[in-house]
Amino acid sequence: MADNDNSITRRDFTKGVAVGTMAGALGTMGIYSYSPLAKQHFVKAPAAKENIGEVKSVKVTNISETSWFDNKVLMGDIKGAGGLLVNQYTYNWAPFTQPKGQLGKGSYEDGMKILRPLIPNKLDEAWAYQLENAVNPTNGGGFAALIEVEALDGKITRILLDSGWNFDWMDKAFKREGIDKLLADGKIDYFVLSHEHFDHFWGAPVVFKYGPTVRTLYPKGFYPEGMDYLKAAGHRGELIETKPGLYKLFPGAALYNFATPIICRVFGEQSLFFNVKDKGLVTVTGCCHQGILQFASVAQRAVETKKLYGIYGGLHVSPFDEWDPKYDDLVAVFKKWGFEKVGCNHCTGILTARKLIEAGIPVIQGTARNGTKDKAYLGNGDQIVFAMNDVVDIAAAATQGAASAAPAAAGGGMKY
Amino acid sequence: MGTNTEERYGVGYLEERQISPRWPALMTHLVNVVALLSVFYVTWWIFQDPRGIFRLYTPYVGYMYTRWLLIILIWMVYIFQFWPMRRSQLDSWHPLLKAAVAIPVAVLIMMLVIHGFFHGLLGNYGIAYFDAERTKDLPRMTQFFAEEYAALAILMFAALASWLAPAWVVGMERAPWQNEKQPVQGITILVVTFFIATILYFVTMHPHMGILYYPWQYFTSIAPPYWEEFANTVSGNFHISWIMCATVVVWLVETIWERYPFRMIENAWMRRLATFFGILAIAWAFHLFLYFAQELFIGETIRGTRNDNAPDWRWLHVGEMMIFMLLPALYINFYCGNWPKKFSTPVNLFVRTAITFTAGVALMVFYYNISHLVLGTQRGISQPEQFPMIPTIWLINIMLVHHWYMDNWPAWRKVATVAAPVAASAVSNAPLAAQPIGSAAG
Repeated sequence: MADNDNSITRRDFTKGVAVGTMAGALGTMGIYSYSPLAKQHFVKAPAAKENIGEVKSVKVTNISETSWFDNKVLMGDIKGAGGLLVNQYTYNWAPFTQPKGQLGKGSYEDGMKILRPLIPNKLDEAWAYQLENAVNPTNGGGFAALIEVEALDGKITRILLDSGWNFDWMDKAFKREGIDKLLADGKIDYFVLSHEHFDHFWGAPVVFKYGPTVRTLYPKGFYPEGMDYLKAAGHRGELIETKPGLYKLFPGAALYNFATPIICRVFGEQSLFFNVKDKGLVTVTGCCHQGILQFASVAQRAVETKKLYGIYGGLHVSPFDEWDPKYDDLVAVFKKWGFEKVGCNHCTGILTARKLIEAGIPVIQGTARNGTKDKAYLGNGDQIVFAMNDVVDIAAAATQGAASAAPAAAGGGMKY
Repeated sequence: MGTNTEERYGVGYLEERQISPRWPALMTHLVNVVALLSVFYVTWWIFQDPRGIFRLYTPYVGYMYTRWLLIILIWMVYIFQFWPMRRSQLDSWHPLLKAAVAIPVAVLIMMLVIHGFFHGLLGNYGIAYFDAERTKDLPRMTQFFAEEYAALAILMFAALASWLAPAWVVGMERAPWQNEKQPVQGITILVVTFFIATILYFVTMHPHMGILYYPWQYFTSIAPPYWEEFANTVSGNFHISWIMCATVVVWLVETIWERYPFRMIENAWMRRLATFFGILAIAWAFHLFLYFAQELFIGETIRGTRNDNAPDWRWLHVGEMMIFMLLPALYINFYCGNWPKKFSTPVNLFVRTAITFTAGVALMVFYYNISHLVLGTQRGISQPEQFPMIPTIWLINIMLVHHWYMDNWPAWRKVATVAAPVAASAVSNAPLAAQPIGSAAG
């Protein structure tokens, strides 16, 4: 009996060896995956950096950062329509509402039947109809910014980034900042649409009302509704679709298109960056759904530059004042990236701006006027300048929590 | 009467029933897949699709219901062995009738657990974040995100339970309560696994919830969470990853691996412990390896960024990859009679595993290419509201009801139920190799 108990057949032995080997391989696979040895497999491809040239300065005027006025109303609409992935054109939000539009039951086609003959020249009439019929039409505002880039020879190139949402609000904001005249006089060189979201794009007829032939760039990924709206809104000039990757605009300036999926059934976003002489790279974004560090990382690898210097724009963290622990990852590491001057807007979220300030990040605070509710970030009419002669006292900024902003209309005020 | 009339409920039912295909293999599987996907699509449209009727895919609210439906089905069949459904009902009722009874019961229990236990009890008398009505009016909060956060916390509980409940049956072989009758056995295992899930929830997901609010809840949770350095993120997705791996490995061990090689251990307690913790060890191997695989395939992570380069998403995606593996494994077991069976056990297992992983990858590629067109989700793989676990688990729920309650009808029909050769409790506690769960003939 003892002999029988201890005996083992060749077949059992082979099976045991096979199973043991597989189990060992599986275990080793797991341990190896987390060991320092695993790092040797990562490809360190040499970055193919492009020289995009340099600029002397970049001045950003925040035309409107108030994408919407009441977060609870906006999120109530999103909740009522079915959540974050519902097609934005079906909300019956302005300007695509049907008569007596019901939340989440609209369509682009039905909305355009009424809107098409009214844009871009009868915006007052178009908006009056929206006020009567759309879902919460007065909650919409919009995002737009003017970027004035000074070349090394002093030449100024102007970029209008995004067109906002609410026709009435954006028209007044454009007039407040003189954008209407710049467009009418042909002094806006580029109209850049960062992405297709309602608060960045649906105010396009206001832009084309004043500057119908402005050269317009949009990122690949616009849906058929968005493409149709671009034409219906009155654009008659050069229309450029940017493909994912680098797109050089002019010396010292470039766009980068990210094929990134976004809420409300939107796809693709492009952001701007500028290489400021003696300072480094400045990134300017609409919302930055791709992630600001993703953008910074890509930009750093894509172009020759001294360092990462400044940021203006949505860092797209908590635009609805929502939170997720992964956003704390951004706050935790942001300082290590070495940005010296940070200007945020609505898509960053007040909460994020506060957390960044608490973490000692040199966030430039705003003046909270023209409808902006909080000084935690740059508000409507505020400006930020990134210039080769900037003097930035990081230590002081960190100690104070943040610098303060200057009103644009006050003749320049402080420069940062 | 002189006969043994002791009610066995569903003990051994799945192992004893005999079902046979109605048509040749190709036609049978074609009808089956079409039927499954039709039910999936119709129910998806009604309940989940952002273009549909109820639009629960917000995403977390729909995710919560999907997860809890899964765990309740597991409770009903694996823990309670169909109790209180009588054996005669299981044997004689039409599959549609059984499903028509089981589904409302499952939904009712789910509503009681979610709205009664979590929202009503825990949310109002213990931890506020479980009840959106309590948190929606707090500073910086909206109704939408109050509901999303509550749903997140509740579904995390389900994630833990959906690993532990079947793991106790598969790994611990129901011990030490294997000889208890139903419902005593079911209640005991339910209470024990729920208790362990509660402890694990507090050390895995509660710190995640604790830093979800501003300021961080230093007095009530560990902030920042203790796993920050190891995981390169403070997100609880790090835990979701290994919990999902463990959940899937439990089912791999139970189905296509036939509890091999653990079943070869003769000592009962050694076998149980080796299986329970072996599942965990294998899960951790997948957890770390699949994260590493993404670094090789996509590139190194960038902490603090979004989408596919963020560590938190990579951990989440480990769980998503694993769930894609589960679908073909269940199909092989439920509908293909655990094919192949003609080779030695290790070879059979290897072939099934190879098929499962290949089919899983193919499914994953297919899903990410068509989901935005047919399911109303977002294009791309890493949008923060893209949760492939929702449709995959939704389909798994349908497959579970179909296989457990509907005897694979209509493509298969039940031909007989073989009488249990030994005592019911012994049958239910024997290693699965002695009682294959999927008796469907391919």
